[in-house]
Amino acid sequence: MRQLFSLLLLSLLSFVCSASSDYHEQLVLRPLPLSALLASFDFRSNITLSAFETHNFRFFPRSLGQILQYANTRELHLRFSLGRWDAESWGARPWDGAREGGTGVELWAWLEAETDDEADHKWLTLTNALSGLFCASLNFIDGTRTTRPVMSFQPEGDHPNSTENMHLLYGVLPHEVVCTENLTPFLKLLPCKGKVGIATLLDGHKLFDASWQSMAIDVRPICPDDGECVLQIELTIDMVLDIERSKRPRDNPIPRPLPSHELMCDTSKPYHADDTCFPADYSANQDWTLSQVFGRNMKGICPLTDPAVPPVCLQVPHSRRVFVSSGVVEKKNADGTSRCFEISPKADFEMIFPRPEKTDGEEGNAAQAEIALADVVKPETPLLYAERSFTGHGQERGGVQTILRNPSPDTEVEFIYMESLPWFMRIYTHTIEAHVGGESKSNGSLIEEIYYRPALDRARGTQLEMRMRIPPAATVFLTYDFEKSILRYTEYPPDANRGFDVAAAVITILNRGEERKAAYTLRTTSLLCSLPTPDFSMPYNVIIFTSTAIALAFGGMFNILVRRFVAADEGPEAGLGKKLSAKLSKVLERFRKKKTAVEEQK
Amino acid sequence: MTSSTIISEPLTANRDLNSNSNASLTPVPGSRKEPPPEKASDIRRRSFIILSFWLIVLFLGLPIWWKTTTIYRANLPLQEMLDWADGKACRPVFPLRIAIEANSLHEQEAHNLLRLTQHALDDLNDFSGHHLRLQLSPPSTEKKQDSSHDAALTIRLVPGESSTSTLDPYAPVLNITYPPNSIPSPTSSSSSLATYVASQLRSTFAEEQAIISYLLSANFIPSEHRPQGLAPEAADSLAKRTTRSLKYAPTYHLTFSLFTSGPLPSSWDIEAAIDEYMKPVLDLLSPIHNFTIDTQVQLYATPGVQNQVLSKEDLSSFINAAEWPLSPSIGGAPTINFVVFVGDQTIMAPPQAPEGSDVEAPTFQSFLIPQWGTVYLVSLPHDVPHVSVETLKQPLLTFTSHLLSLTGAPQSGSLPLRLSTLARIRSADLLLRASSTLGSLARLALALPSIAIPSSVADGVSKTMSHLRLACETLGGSEGLAHARIAEAEAERAFFEKSMVGQLYFPDEHKIAVYLPLLGPVAVPLVIGLLNEIKAWRKRRRERAEKGAQKKAE
Repeated sequence: MRQLFSLLLLSLLSFVCSASSDYHEQLVLRPLPLSALLASFDFRSNITLSAFETHNFRFFPRSLGQILQYANTRELHLRFSLGRWDAESWGARPWDGAREGGTGVELWAWLEAETDDEADHKWLTLTNALSGLFCASLNFIDGTRTTRPVMSFQPEGDHPNSTENMHLLYGVLPHEVVCTENLTPFLKLLPCKGKVGIATLLDGHKLFDASWQSMAIDVRPICPDDGECVLQIELTIDMVLDIERSKRPRDNPIPRPLPSHELMCDTSKPYHADDTCFPADYSANQDWTLSQVFGRNMKGICPLTDPAVPPVCLQVPHSRRVFVSSGVVEKKNADGTSRCFEISPKADFEMIFPRPEKTDGEEGNAAQAEIALADVVKPETPLLYAERSFTGHGQERGGVQTILRNPSPDTEVEFIYMESLPWFMRIYTHTIEAHVGGESKSNGSLIEEIYYRPALDRARGTQLEMRMRIPPAATVFLTYDFEKSILRYTEYPPDANRGFDVAAAVITILNRGEERKAAYTLRTTSLLCSLPTPDFSMPYNVIIFTSTAIALAFGGMFNILVRRFVAADEGPEAGLGKKLSAKLSKVLERFRKKKTAVEEQK
Repeated sequence: MTSSTIISEPLTANRDLNSNSNASLTPVPGSRKEPPPEKASDIRRRSFIILSFWLIVLFLGLPIWWKTTTIYRANLPLQEMLDWADGKACRPVFPLRIAIEANSLHEQEAHNLLRLTQHALDDLNDFSGHHLRLQLSPPSTEKKQDSSHDAALTIRLVPGESSTSTLDPYAPVLNITYPPNSIPSPTSSSSSLATYVASQLRSTFAEEQAIISYLLSANFIPSEHRPQGLAPEAADSLAKRTTRSLKYAPTYHLTFSLFTSGPLPSSWDIEAAIDEYMKPVLDLLSPIHNFTIDTQVQLYATPGVQNQVLSKEDLSSFINAAEWPLSPSIGGAPTINFVVFVGDQTIMAPPQAPEGSDVEAPTFQSFLIPQWGTVYLVSLPHDVPHVSVETLKQPLLTFTSHLLSLTGAPQSGSLPLRLSTLARIRSADLLLRASSTLGSLARLALALPSIAIPSSVADGVSKTMSHLRLACETLGGSEGLAHARIAEAEAERAFFEKSMVGQLYFPDEHKIAVYLPLLGPVAVPLVIGLLNEIKAWRKRRRERAEKGAQKKAE
C-alpha cells in the first residue's frame, strides 16, 4: 500500500511538474478492515514566486500569503489532528505519515532571519497571525512550547539560495481540541470554497465524528528544473470514518439496539441459540453509499482543477462491484487494486458500494473473515509500531515507556525519536535506556546518537532527539524517568485536576539510501500527566493560619512584657463569671436606688 | 504566695477604685490584699515598651506596608494635558502664503495691489484660524521654483481683456487675467481687481476653511475660533464626509478583489490596469501616504443580498463578511478594499439624492462603504474566462476617485491644490486627535486612582506634548504634518500601554479578608495597651495634682 501511495504521489508530482493548471484536487477512498473507510482529500495550488512577491494572488489564498510574507516564512507545515490511527488493524499510514500531526495542533516552519532572536520574533508573529486565521489557540505556542529540532525535520521544498539563514521552529499544542471552527477557515482557503467539487463532502459533523482525522496545510517552494519557481500550498484532510457510525441518520444520532432478527451472529459458536448471539466479525463488508457516509452528495467538480487528475479514486480490488451515477466513467488502474472516476463538471456524483456476494451464509467465521479480507485491499504493514505510556505512580516521580516494534523479519529500522516535553517534566537523562524485549540488560548499541536540550523552568521545554536502530523482528523498550515539578499557584489551568497534556513523540524513519529524507513518519499518542495539584483555597488558609500563629505569639509576648504580676489575692476579681455578676449587681443596685429615689419623691 | 496563683492584672488598673467598689459590693473582708506599690522604674519601663512597639509600627511597619502595596503612578502633567484637549494650549492657525506673480506690473503697482488685496481678504475673512498671507514673488524666473515651493498657491497675474480666473490642473497655480484699466492707482483705497482676486482666493479656499473649522468645532470649542457662518446643511455634509474618510495612517493597504458568483472569470489583468489608471494618483499622494497593493481572485462568492436590483438598504448587507475573505491585512496599516463583483446585479437609482445615509449611491454600478472601500458591480457574459484591462478601466477610475474621498481629500479644486489641502486637513486632524487622546488619558488617570501608570506612559506624554507644540508652531507646512503624525502615534501608544490596560482588580472584601486575620489580633493588644497606658498616665497626673493641692492646702 505504501508503494501504491508513493506511486500515486509520484504520479501526482509528475502531474504537477507538467501541469499547465495551477490547481488540482483529488479524493482517494480506501475501505479499511473492521468497517472503516479512509478518505484522503488533497487540494493543491501553485503560485509563481514573482506573483507571490507582487501580491497578486489567484489560487493561493491571500490571507495566508500575507502572513507568510509578513513573517518571512519560507516553508510552513500546520496540522490539526484528532483521534488515533489504529496501526494494528489499519496498517501503514496514508502519505507515509507525512501529512499528519499528533493530537491537537502542530506547527513547524522554516523562517528566514538573521539571528535567533529575530527568528523568535517572527515566529511569534506567525503563530499569532495563524491563530487568528484558523480560530485556534496557536498564540499559546510560546517559548515553553517551541523547540528547534535538529535531526527530525528536513525541508520538503527546494530552497536554492537561502538555506543558511533559515531557522526551523517547531511548536505543538497537544491540548487543543480541533473542531468545526478550524474547518471553516480551512475551506475558505480553497479556490472553489466548499461550493463544488470534492470539498462539498466535507461536513464538520462527519469529519469531527471520525475515528481519526488529520487536517494538514503545507506550503513549500518548488523549483522545477525547467521553468519558474512556484510556491505550492497543499491542503489535505485524511479521515477514517467508522461506517456504521457515519451511517446513523443525522436527526437520530443515538445508537439503539437492533431488533434481534437483524443481529449478525456467529452461528458456528457452540452456544449459539435463539437467545444468545456472538457478533460476527465481518463488518468490513458493510455496504455504503457516498451520501450515507458523508451526509451529502458530491456536487460536480471544481472547474479550475487540472483535467488530467481524476477527482475521485477508490482503492478496492477489481473484483468488487461499484455502482456510480450516470455520466461517470470508471477507469480501472493497472495495479489491480484501484480505480478512478471521471466526473462531468455539472453532475452530482453518487457512488454505491454494495455488500459483496456471499458464497454461503452458513459458512464459518474464519471463511467469512477471509472473504472480508479479500474484499478490501490488504493493509500494508507499517515499518514500525510505536506506543508510549506512563509508568510509575505517585505525584512526585514517573516514568515514560515507549514500546517500538519492528515487524519486518529481515531489515533493521533506523529512525529518529523526538520528544518535546513540557518544562515541568524534568527528565533524568541517566535513566534513559533502551533494551530489546526479552533481554533484561540495556543494550547500548540501540541508541546511536542523542541530542538533548534541557528545560529551563518557565522558559523552555525539554527537547530530546535520539537516533536509534532496531534490529529485525525485535521489540525495543525505551524508558526514562522524570520528576514532576510543582507549579506556581497562577500557573495551573482552571481544570488542573484533569492533567497536563504531553505532546506526541515524533518518530521519523530514515530512508536508507538517500540521506536526510524521511521514509515514513509516525507519532505516538499524546499523554496525560497528572501533576500534584494544590487546594486552590490555600492562600486564604495560609493567610489565616499564619496570622493566627503570629497573633498568638505577639499577643502572648506583648502581654508578658507590659503586664504586672501580682499574687492572686492581691489582684482584682478574676474570672468572667464573677466579673459579670459584679457588674450585674452594680446595675441592679443602681436600678434599686433609682426606684427608691422615685418612691421617695412620691 | 504559695496558696495564691499568679494572675495577670490589667495594666495599671485603677486598683484603688476597683478594690474600693469591690469592697463595698462584695463584703468579703480580708480576702483581698493590696499589691505592693509599683516601682517607678517599672512604670517607666512599661511606658517605654509600649512606646517602642508603637514606634516600630508607625515608623517601620507602615512605611514597609505602604512601599510594598502602593501602585506606581508616574507624574503626568494632568492640567497641561487637559488644556491641550480643551484647545487652550494651542490655537491652530494655518498661515498660508500666497505668492503673487505679476511680471507685467511695476513693482510699485504690484505692492499697492498686494496691499489692497490683503486688505480685502482680511475684511472678508471671518475665521481667524485660517490666514491667507499674500506676498510678492520676485519677478526673476529662476527663483520661482523656490518661492512656489513653500507657498500654498501662486497667483499668476496676466493682462487680458476681462477678469477671468482658472486653476492650473497640474500645479498649484491660479491664473488670473485682468483688463489693463483695473490696475489700482497708488493712491486709491479700493480696486476692483483687488476685490476680484480676494474673492477668487476665498472661493478657492472656502472648502478647506469649512473643513478645518468643522474639525475644530467638532473637537474643541473655543468660541473665538468658531466661524460664524457655518450653515447646518454644510456642517451635515462635512460630517458625512469626515465619517466617510479613514483614520489617518502613513501607510494604507489597498486590496483589489475580483469576486465572481460562479466559476468564471478566474483571472484578470489587474496589475496592468492599476499601473495605467491608478498609479499616477498614488504617486501624487505619496508625500502624504504610502500604499501597498495586493490583489486576489475569489470564485463562488455569494453576496449577502440576492436581489436582482439592489436598493439602498440592500447595499449595507451586500458584502458577505462571513464568507468573503476580506480580512484586513496584517501589520499596522489599515486596509482599503476595492471589490469588483462580477454578477448581473445592478443598483437601483435612488428616488432623490439620499440624505444622511451612510452608503452613497450616486451611480448604478458602484457604491462606497465609509471607511472600508468600494464595490463595483460588473456584468459580464457567463463564459468569459478573463477580465481584460479595458473592462477594468471604469472600475479603476471609480476606485481612484473614491480613494481620494476615502483619504479625506476635498472635492473641489485642482488635484495639486486638493492634495496640499489634504495635508493641511490631515495635520489639523492629527493634532486634534492627539490632543483629545491626551485629554482622555488625563481623565482616565484622574478617574481611576488605583490604575498603575508606568514611566513609559509619562515619557510618551512628554514626547507627545513636545511634538504637539512643534506641530502647532509649524501648522500648514510639511513639518507640521510630520510632527502631528509623531504626536498622534506617541499619544496612542501612551494611551494603549499594555500594563495599563490590564488593571489589577482587588475588591475591598478581598483586602479585608487578607488584612483582618493578621492585623486584628495584633492591633487589639497594641491599641488596648496604649489606651490603658494613657489612662494610667492621666490618673497619675491627677493624683500628683491632688497631692500638690493637698500640700498647698496644708
